[in-house]
Amino acid sequence: MIKTVSIPSGISLTDFYREKVGDYPKFFKMDTLCKLGFLLGERIAREEPDRFTPREDRAVLVFSRAGCVANDRRYAASMADFPSPALFVYTLPNTVTGEIAIRNRWGGETSAYVLEQKDTALMKALVAQAFQDRCTQSAFVAWIDCPSDEEWTAEACLIDKNDL
Amino acid sequence: MENLKTELKLKVIDALNLDGMTPDDIADDAPLFGDQGLGLDSIDVLELIVLLEKNYGIRLATPADGKKVFQSMAVMADYVAANRTK
Repeated sequence: MIKTVSIPSGISLTDFYREKVGDYPKFFKMDTLCKLGFLLGERIAREEPDRFTPREDRAVLVFSRAGCVANDRRYAASMADFPSPALFVYTLPNTVTGEIAIRNRWGGETSAYVLEQKDTALMKALVAQAFQDRCTQSAFVAWIDCPSDEEWTAEACLIDKNDL
Repeated sequence: MENLKTELKLKVIDALNLDGMTPDDIADDAPLFGDQGLGLDSIDVLELIVLLEKNYGIRLATPADGKKVFQSMAVMADYVAANRTK
């Protein structure tokens, strides 16, 4: 059975980080989308016995509807004064997959999809497609939708090739 | 000097959007860059260069100079104290 983890909407992500993680200062730089992806990754990976052992056989797939629009708005506002490079780096919705992969040393394929809505059938097809190479044995799969910094849906699971 | 360090930490937190971080989270001598420190990267150097110019009238010639100045909060505070024009 595939175990799903989630981050409840509206909680303080900083408090969650301080309580559950606390050793990765780069967390504070991230936009909300990346913070959610990072924390989901922590919840999935912390139970693994070989945590932080580099591996090439794990893919990362993140699905979303709003992408990084909350940060895009903040970056657009910063242009009234001096455009913020620190915000600019998070104006791509696929940055979250990199944050998860770097933290956990998962060197497989990373993919970010922005969908019009949560389409489970399409997501399953895209996950199955990720296993079509000769390398991928497992995949971190997440649905992270945060249209604002205050509300989101964030859930993830780890899918093994044998689960398909 | 302690006041300047705290002031700099607050300005860095604000400039880099380190949401939720407090000055107490940043040790004076901790490296600002790399995984062992604050986790800043080359993009952040640009932000810090702008911070020094806007707030203290200090203009660094190149981002490479920034790497030396931004080794730690203690080094940064020493540099600002010695070179500020406002």
